[in-house]
Amino acid sequence: MRLGLPSFIVISLFFTQSCANYYQSNYSFNAAFEQGELERALADLQSSPTRDYKKKEFLYLANNGLLLSVLGRYEESNEYLEKAFIFGEDYRKNYLDEAASYLTNPMVTAYPGEDHEHLMVLYYKAMNFLKMGKRAEALVECKRLNIRIQQLSDRYNTDKKYQKDAFIHLLMGIIYEADNDFNNAFIAYRNAYEVYQSAYKELFNSEVPAQLKEDIIRTALLSGLKSEFEYFKSEFGREDYEYTPPSGGDLVFFWHNGLSPIKAETSFNFIINRNGNVVTFVNEELGLSFPFNLSDRDEKDKDGLANLEIFRVAFPKYVERPVYYTQASIYLAESAYSLQQVENIDLIAKQVLQQRMTLEFSKALVRAALKKVTEYEMRKESKTFGSLIGIINAITEKADTRNWQTLPHSIYYSRVPMKLGTNEVTLELATSTEETPSKHSFTYIIDKKGMIFHTFTSLESRSMTYGYY
Amino acid sequence: MRITLVLTFIIMLTGCTRQVARIDPGVSMDLSGRWNDTDSRAVAEAMTNELLTSETFEKFAEEEGKKPAIIVGWILNKTSEHIDADNFIKKIELTIFNSGLADLVESEEFRDKLRLERAQQQDFASNETTAQWGQEIGADLMLFGEMNSETDVYNNKRVVNYVITLFLTDMETNKRVWYGQKEIKKYIRN
Repeated sequence: MRLGLPSFIVISLFFTQSCANYYQSNYSFNAAFEQGELERALADLQSSPTRDYKKKEFLYLANNGLLLSVLGRYEESNEYLEKAFIFGEDYRKNYLDEAASYLTNPMVTAYPGEDHEHLMVLYYKAMNFLKMGKRAEALVECKRLNIRIQQLSDRYNTDKKYQKDAFIHLLMGIIYEADNDFNNAFIAYRNAYEVYQSAYKELFNSEVPAQLKEDIIRTALLSGLKSEFEYFKSEFGREDYEYTPPSGGDLVFFWHNGLSPIKAETSFNFIINRNGNVVTFVNEELGLSFPFNLSDRDEKDKDGLANLEIFRVAFPKYVERPVYYTQASIYLAESAYSLQQVENIDLIAKQVLQQRMTLEFSKALVRAALKKVTEYEMRKESKTFGSLIGIINAITEKADTRNWQTLPHSIYYSRVPMKLGTNEVTLELATSTEETPSKHSFTYIIDKKGMIFHTFTSLESRSMTYGYY
Repeated sequence: MRITLVLTFIIMLTGCTRQVARIDPGVSMDLSGRWNDTDSRAVAEAMTNELLTSETFEKFAEEEGKKPAIIVGWILNKTSEHIDADNFIKKIELTIFNSGLADLVESEEFRDKLRLERAQQQDFASNETTAQWGQEIGADLMLFGEMNSETDVYNNKRVVNYVITLFLTDMETNKRVWYGQKEIKKYIRN
C-alpha cells in the first residue's frame, strides 16, 4: 500500500507527539530522584537529549542546581542556578513559538518558569553560599530576592493573590543576620510576619512560625530598636524575654519535606452558542463562559465557529504528592526544638496556577477554536484533508504540564543554640500514624561563634520508596 | 485567510528586542515609588548642607577655633524597606568632604584596616616613611540618624511618608549641636 502525503504527516505526528505529560516523559530521571538515587538521576538529567533544549532550559538548569545542592556540590550547583537566574532575567516571549502554540499546543514554547520557582532558584543559591561560608555572596542573592519580590508585589493589588512570599522575607532576614546586619534582618523578619499574618493566613491558612517571633524580638534588641523590642515582646506575650547569646551561635536548620506537585492534564468539553456576532464557549459543569466577539471576522470564520458544536480543550492541573512525614523535631541534650512549616510549595504552586487560570482557559479556547476553524475550512475544500486536519488537531491538543518537580512539598525551619565544641543533634521525623519515628544523627563541631546552616531533605511521599539526604 | 494575517502580525512582533539606554545619574526617575537613588541623594545633600550652614554648627566651629572633625555614626532604618544605609552615609560623607567646612574622620571599619596597615608598616616600612602611632584626629562631633516611614494604603493607592532625622552631637559633652528632619511624601497609584 502506498502512503500519500497527508497520511505520512499524520503518522509522523503520531510518533513525534507524545501523549505523555512532562513528568511521564522524564520518567527515568524522576524515578531515580524519587528513589534517592541522586547520582543516577544527575547522570540521567545531564545525558538527556539536547533536542528541544531551549523549551526546557529553565527546568534543566534548576534541576541540575537542586540536585547538586542536595549532593553538597555547592559550587557546581550555583553555576547552574546562576544560569537559571539569568534565564529568568533575560526571558522574553518568542512570538513565533507563541503563534505556533496556537496551532499545536503550549509545549512548543520555551518554559518561562513560575514566579515561585524563580524565587526558589535564589533560595537554593543563597543557601549554598551560606553553607560555604560566603556571606557577602549570599547577600547579593538576598538583594536579588528583594527585587524579585518587589516585582511580584507590584503585579497585583490584592492580598487574595500570591504576591508576597513570607518565606523569602524570612530567608532574607536570616541572610542579613548572618552578615550581622541586625537592622535589615529585623525589617525582613517583620515583613515576613506581616505576610504570614495577612496573605498567607487568607490564602493558605498558615500560622506565624513561633521561631520567627523569636527572630523578630532578638533582632529588634540587637539592632537597638527599643520601642519595637518592647512592642513585639508584648505582642507575642513574651514580656519575660531575655536574650542569652549561645556560646557557639545558632544552627539554622531547614527540613525539605516530600515533593512538590506535578502538573498533569485535564480536559474539558465546551459547547458553543452563537448569538449574532458573539460566540460563547460554555462549560456548565465548571460554570465557565467565555464570549468572543466576531464582528471583525470574515464570514468564513463566523461560519466556521458557528458550525462547531462541542470540542475538547486540554488544561493543566496540579496533582499533589502527599507527604509521608507530617512533623519533625530536633533534640540536643535534654532540649527539643520543633521544626515549623515556613513554606508550602504545594499550595503556592496551585495558587499561582489558579491565579492565571482565566488566562489559561482563554488561550486554550482560542487555540481550540483556531484549530477547528482550520479544520472546517479544509473540510469544505477536501473532505479527506479536513478529516486529516481534525486528526492532527486531536493529536496535538495538550496542556503545558511542565513545572519544577524536584522542589520539596514544604519547607520547615528551626534554630538550635550551639555550644563551642561538639554538639550531638538528633532529628526525628514522625508520620501522622503511630509508626516509629525516623531518626537521624548529626555532629557539629563549633570552634568559633557564628551561624551554621543545614538542610535535610526527605523525599518520601505516600505510596513510594525514597531516600534521605 | 484572517488567521494567516493574525499569525503574520504575531510573527512580526518577534522583531522586538531589548533596549538599553544610558542616562544621566542625576536625572530623577521614579518607577515603583519606593525609596530610590534620587531620594537618597536629595536628602543627603540637602540635610548635610543645612547642617554645615546652621548657626549652631558655625558657632561650634568658631568656639573650637578650627574646622570641626565629624564622624558619621550609624543611621538606623526603621522603615519596611531595605534601604541601603551605607550608600546614604557615603553620600553624606561626600557632601561634608566637598564642603571644606568640616574634616571627616574615617569610620570604625576603615580605622581598623588603617591600624592594621600602620602596625605592619612598623615592621616592614623604612623609618622615614613609617606612619606614626598616636597621630589620629579624634572626632569633635558625631552624626546619627534615623529613617522612618508611614504608609497608608487603600485599594490600588498608596501614600508613603518617609521621615529622615539626623542629629549632630558634641563628642565631649553629649550636647546636641544640630537637629534636622526632612520628609518625602509619595503618592503611588498602581
